[in-house]
Amino acid sequence: MRRVCALVPLGDPAIADPFAAVAAAAAVAARGGGQASAILLAREARRGDAALAQAAREGAAEILRAAHPALPEAPQAEHLLAAFAHLLRTEARDGLFILPAGPVGEELAARLALRLDAVPLGRCTDIAWEGRTLLARRPAYGGRAEARLATEATLCLAAMRRPAAAAAPAGGAPAVRAVTLDVALPGDLEPPGVAEPAADAPRRPEGARIVVAGGRGMGGAEGFAQLRELAALLDGAVGASLPAVDAGWAAVAQQVGQSGAFVAPELYLAFGLSGTAQHLAGIGPGTRIVAVNPDPEAEIFRVAELGLVAPWQEVLPRLIGRLRRA
Amino acid sequence: MQVVVLLAGVVDPKWRLDRLALRPGAALVDETGLPRRLGPFDEAALETALKLRDADPAVRATAVLVGGPEDDALLRAVSAFRPHRAFRFGGAATSLWDPRAAVRLLGAAVAAAAERPDLVLMGREFGDGDDGTLPPALAEARGWRFCGLAHAVTLAGDGTVALRRMRGPREEILRLRPPVLASVTNDRGNRLRHPLLKHVMLARRAPVEAIAPPPEAGEGAPALALRGIAAVPPPPRGGGACRLLTGPIETQVEELATLLRRWRAVGEG
Ligand SMILES: Cc1cc2nc3c(=O)[nH]c(=O)nc-3n(C[C@H](O)[C@H](O)[C@H](O)COP(=O)(O)OP(=O)(O)OC[C@H]3O[C@@H](n4cnc5c(N)ncnc54)[C@H](O)[C@@H]3O)c2cc1C
Ligand SMILES: Nc1ncnc2c1ncn2[C@@H]1O[C@H](COP(=O)(O)O)[C@@H](O)[C@H]1O
Repeated sequence: MRRVCALVPLGDPAIADPFAAVAAAAAVAARGGGQASAILLAREARRGDAALAQAAREGAAEILRAAHPALPEAPQAEHLLAAFAHLLRTEARDGLFILPAGPVGEELAARLALRLDAVPLGRCTDIAWEGRTLLARRPAYGGRAEARLATEATLCLAAMRRPAAAAAPAGGAPAVRAVTLDVALPGDLEPPGVAEPAADAPRRPEGARIVVAGGRGMGGAEGFAQLRELAALLDGAVGASLPAVDAGWAAVAQQVGQSGAFVAPELYLAFGLSGTAQHLAGIGPGTRIVAVNPDPEAEIFRVAELGLVAPWQEVLPRLIGRLRRA
Repeated sequence: MQVVVLLAGVVDPKWRLDRLALRPGAALVDETGLPRRLGPFDEAALETALKLRDADPAVRATAVLVGGPEDDALLRAVSAFRPHRAFRFGGAATSLWDPRAAVRLLGAAVAAAAERPDLVLMGREFGDGDDGTLPPALAEARGWRFCGLAHAVTLAGDGTVALRRMRGPREEILRLRPPVLASVTNDRGNRLRHPLLKHVMLARRAPVEAIAPPPEAGEGAPALALRGIAAVPPPPRGGGACRLLTGPIETQVEELATLLRRWRAVGEG
């Protein structure tokens, strides 16, 4: 059994679900008959108490709490890279290291692998061993195909999402160790500027209980204005397909899919979306989908629970009116 | 200012992949009969390079399409946008599945385009096999500054590159000193323009420039080998049975409204 270890950067608001890495590592390790460990990285050690408990709950049997007092409040990838590279060089020369899926985790996994002469596996859905060979599966062709990859390398980095089913928690209290790092961090980095958010900046679809999404079939900005109205009535967020973002009807942060946000709301209202694999890849498996599309053959009806075969123009104004009155 | 845009191309996403498999005896995907086009992120990266060229006469923009002879038609389509130079880099067996080998190849591709590149642009996902690993891996291997998922790139007067990206809840503006590699995501502001018909016709007749990678770019056994590839059906969800509402539209909408009211009440209660 190889070492399977989650790398968890804490306190970065750009990482939606850092502990997904622990849950994923625990699931991979459990399938191989072993247990996962986790390295938690934060600025201050005392921040780590709640994190420690959560990492244990998510299945880490062994936890290393690493604190680096020189980490900036909003660390850049270069800072996290320097700290993690140091940790891996000193604490663990081989194993499978898993970062949380998402832009930050995926960038870290790729760059750490190159920096440490390891193999980057990308965003995997499944990792197992066959003797000494590591076998990884990951989506390709926009989620329409699956690639099976193999390596004999002993040091690998991957990014993973939270698995659909959680592994059983490790029995007993985890073994915990703490280190304070003093490795030099890049000191010449100008912190990025932060653009003033527009007053009407849309709410991000990640984390919303309900997402009201629109695609190319909305035909223009007017349809999206109505989607925003509906979302506001439901306290939800607006999502969009890639063509709708390209057309400028929605912001790039609202793009849902293989190459966009991954959302797992309770309900996903899909207007003017055909239901391509690339789009559906961004919607959690437990989400219930309701679709509105005039084409009864649209793929979206294969994955929806409830469907209205109608153009949005006939549905949205009436629906908004009724919910307003209620 | 040397701007190099690396392009990968994708199989036209409208085509079914049912027969996708490895070529017999090789770790290469057989894409015979599947048309290739630029992917949405290739297009965003190319448009970003064209905008930089239009904005500043000191910019020299080179487009490099990474692939084999089957991509020559795609290269002509790229040439029609009139970058200063466009060439194809790679051979019939070009494979990007092993990121470490891919990074050697892409590094050689950039080197063939510019001795001292200032800005390298590529799509956030580089072709059908990449999920966003190759751009940061290439930047790391070369020691270039990296910005992932940029949706707007401009050149600041002081010689830095200004890049905008969404990072979690906020929009960041990075100012990086060259050499910089940015992976570009789609946005309204970088939708690929239409080429002039005149240029399309010219590109169709012009010879294409193809450069073979130096032998050392392909050396060494792959660290990560492609064992298999197959089309997968979308994962089942919703129980597989969608209830399609029927009857007058008013009744259908009322049913949906009732569902949403109930759902809202459960959340609040
Ligand atoms: C590398 C790559 C990555 C990609 N990543 C993503 C991604 O992350 N996210 C993403 O979304 N896409 C992605 N795509 C694009 C994807 O291939 C599809 O083009 C896209 O998902 C289709 O979006 P759509 O459903 O809005 O449009 P379409 O497929 O054009 O569907 C429009 C639908 O609207 C319906 N319609 C028409 N009129 C109306 C009306 N009046 N009312 C209601 N419905 C109507 C039509 O019947 C049709 O079903 C990617 C593509 C590639 C190549
Ligand atoms: N794998 C394939 N092989 C041959 N023809 C295809 C394939 N996939 C799609 N087509 C055809 O390409 C055309 C456009 O496809 P579509 O836009 O998906 O309807 C249609 O005539 C399809 O039947």
